[in-house]
Amino acid sequence: MRGSRFRWLLPTYLGLGLAYLFMPVLLVIMFSFNDLRGRFNVRWQGFTFDHWLDPFRVPAIPRALGPSLTIAFLSALVSTVLGTLIALALVRYRFRGKAATNVSLFMPMATPEVVMGSSLLALFVAVQAATGFVTILIAHILFNISYAVATVRARIAGYERDLEEAAMDLYADEWQTFRRVTLPMIMPGVFAAFLLGFALSFDDFVISNFTAGSVQTFPLYVWGAARRGIPPQVNVWGTVVFLVTVTVMLLYLRWQRRSALKRA
Amino acid sequence: MTAATVSGPAVSAASAARRRRRIPYLLLLPGMAWLLLFFFLPLAQLVVTSLEEGSLEAGFNFAWAWDNYGALFTTYRGQFLRSLVFAGIATLLSLLIGYPLAYAIAFRTGRYKPLFLVLLLMPFLVPFLLRTLAWRIILADEGLVVTTLQSIGILGSSGRVLATPMAVVAGLTYNLMPFMVLPIYVALEKMDKALLEASADLYGSPFVSFWKVTWPLSLPGVISGTLLTFIPAAGDYVEVELLGNPQSAMVGNVIESKFLNVIDYPAAAALSVGLMVVVVFLVVFYVRRVGTEELVT
Amino acid sequence: MTSPGSGVPAVELVSLTKEFADFVAVKELDLAIDDGHFFALLGPSGCGKTTTLRMIGGFEEPSSGIVRLHGEDVTGLKPYRRPVNTVFQSYALFPHLTIHENVAFGLRRQKIDPGEVNRRVGEVLELVQLTGRGRQRPRQLSGGQQQRVALARALVNHPRVLLLDEPLGALDLKLRKEMQIELKRIQQEVGITFIHVTHDQEEAMTMADTIAVMHGGTIERMGHPDEIYEDPRTTFVAGFLGASNLMDARVISPEQGKLVLGDGTPVWIEPSRLMNGATTVSVGVRPEKLHLSAPDSPLETPNRVPGTVTDASFTGASTQYLVDTQQIGEVAVTIQNLGDRRFRANDQVTVGWYPEHCFLVT
Repeated sequence: MRGSRFRWLLPTYLGLGLAYLFMPVLLVIMFSFNDLRGRFNVRWQGFTFDHWLDPFRVPAIPRALGPSLTIAFLSALVSTVLGTLIALALVRYRFRGKAATNVSLFMPMATPEVVMGSSLLALFVAVQAATGFVTILIAHILFNISYAVATVRARIAGYERDLEEAAMDLYADEWQTFRRVTLPMIMPGVFAAFLLGFALSFDDFVISNFTAGSVQTFPLYVWGAARRGIPPQVNVWGTVVFLVTVTVMLLYLRWQRRSALKRA
Repeated sequence: MTAATVSGPAVSAASAARRRRRIPYLLLLPGMAWLLLFFFLPLAQLVVTSLEEGSLEAGFNFAWAWDNYGALFTTYRGQFLRSLVFAGIATLLSLLIGYPLAYAIAFRTGRYKPLFLVLLLMPFLVPFLLRTLAWRIILADEGLVVTTLQSIGILGSSGRVLATPMAVVAGLTYNLMPFMVLPIYVALEKMDKALLEASADLYGSPFVSFWKVTWPLSLPGVISGTLLTFIPAAGDYVEVELLGNPQSAMVGNVIESKFLNVIDYPAAAALSVGLMVVVVFLVVFYVRRVGTEELVT
Repeated sequence: MTSPGSGVPAVELVSLTKEFADFVAVKELDLAIDDGHFFALLGPSGCGKTTTLRMIGGFEEPSSGIVRLHGEDVTGLKPYRRPVNTVFQSYALFPHLTIHENVAFGLRRQKIDPGEVNRRVGEVLELVQLTGRGRQRPRQLSGGQQQRVALARALVNHPRVLLLDEPLGALDLKLRKEMQIELKRIQQEVGITFIHVTHDQEEAMTMADTIAVMHGGTIERMGHPDEIYEDPRTTFVAGFLGASNLMDARVISPEQGKLVLGDGTPVWIEPSRLMNGATTVSVGVRPEKLHLSAPDSPLETPNRVPGTVTDASFTGASTQYLVDTQQIGEVAVTIQNLGDRRFRANDQVTVGWYPEHCFLVT
């Protein structure tokens, strides 16, 4: 593209850009080792393994991780199922109201979280539903659906309708066709939708803040702790979450690459 | 062959066709019902709530209280405008920083493209609040950023970044980066690389090739990236809370505190609706421009 | 249910129509295909041939009309309830299954005993010369091999009718020629009715016992390959099945087969082809049926017109000439290279042909 004199420009920029993106990550990890004196974990005071050796010292953290993980799992599960069904309808069928469906699915993605959260709270207040575990779950399933549709849909669009017709031609009825051909083909997409939903739900703060009532999830705990000073154990758990999700992501990519090589 | 055996399959064919037409609606039903119940219905309720009046003690009653919307242009005009301005600046910065990143990954990483994509996304696997809190350390008063800015004279010797609008915009720009980079990357990636060779072959200089070929083809990505950055930025309240100060409050902060602390539902709902109107306006513009088929991809 | 060879057609379409939102793909099609035949549906893209095939297979529901298989009405039945199998244009091999599992797919859905499944899969893989490939996956095979897996996967079910949708379209020329012969061999070996959709007239003529040429959603001409080649009857079929030279003529004597061209030059044709009583007709003759001679060595052919060579291109086995004539305009002539004299541009020649090589088109 550019003249050869400037060929070094883009790679250098890419390096700087990645450094910019990784800077906060490194700080989060680094400050999990900070030998902290005082309440506010913002200044480097020396290296220690203490917080890693005692990650449960602040009992509120494991207490908050429980609901977070449960809600992330359940909301990812339900939204993946609902989203997969919608994606199948959108890719495989022509029907009236498709454009409206597309717009409806896009709206939650384009709505500011504060509006989504406050509108849900307005509804829960209006019907006098107590906010808590169930209302967080409802909200998380909601915002995950659109992402699940997008993820699965990309996968369905990636292979030909012929495969399903071939199965039907070979005496597989609708259910067998779905079970033996469609599902195995879209499985990587379905799995990705689940992982994405899990991650989005686990990390959600804004919408949970409106719908949680007295239930405390991990982000809600961090939010509350931010005013009083974040214990370094939060950094430990943040690092753990980071490492686990990175590992899962890499494993997923490797699995997908392998099955892509096997299938292509 | 009798008439009955001929009409039998014909009738079942018609009912089978009807059944087949119903399948997509059955597939849509559970998910779209969820959307209707917990997205569109709440939005409607939000509008209803925004027209109520009363107090927490006396209860809120529906009263066509349009006055709640007046506060948008009077009491909270500052917060509302600040939201749009902060979001606008953060979006512009994201585009300036993010476009070359997307470009470099799409055109310059060769077979390591997947690796660089992973690297691009990896930082966002750190919990959102922790990522944002890390910026407190980066932008702290004796931190590297502030001392550098002071030494080159951009910032006065007692000037600070943390607890100013600058920190809020910096946080927004950082946290929304993937929403800008990914759509642009996808648009660039879809582009046929031979187009650039064709442009060069037809006497296009690198600059002309970029301006006349690459940029227009990446425009759908730029538009959706802009939208996906601006909208969450305009509604954000976390950055102000963690990095800014009360004077830099955005509309999201008002909504949050009126809903959760002050408990003035009608006023908060009116602000929410106001924000939503801006968003719908933007989405309509976008749909006109790009079409509906690519929305959820 | 009738047994093969009992005279009931393997496939019978009655007034079959398929309308899509904005056009009619198939228009009141009537067709009967004999059992055990290799039948080709030939036509350009958009002529309705694939839609017809898909309605027989059950992938497309007709807007009206009836599909019968061996006398049984299957119009509303799902694909998996029809005793037909399909070889798809894209092959549609299941990428997540091995070759063996692909071929066994239909048998397993029919709940056939596992031992029997293995026996039949082995048998059919041998038939398509892929013995020993069972454990591989589709993408590890070449295009030609994948094509044969697709064929095996359909044949293993012993369908009453096998549908082939442009099965050789993705193969290169040489492989396509080989597979044409191979397909014909397999069809003769298994004796199943094959319905083959293609846009390649050579392919259709090489393999099929009967060809139906489709155009605009209807069958324009149907018959044995040489029959429809020699007597295509319509301008479209004449043009689609190879090249032809067309000329307008007036009928002088139907009994003798005598016509005259615009300037009075006589043209003789087979009287039997003139039975429809028309007074003006369009006469066609294939380029390879024409003879050329220098003006000083007269031709024996009853039909002759003088002309000037405008172009001569040598293609190895033959030479293609374009000859400009006053009576019938530009004429394409193909002459086998038998060592006879070759003409050049601007040579004066006589173009001649025999009455039996003329056909009439409408």
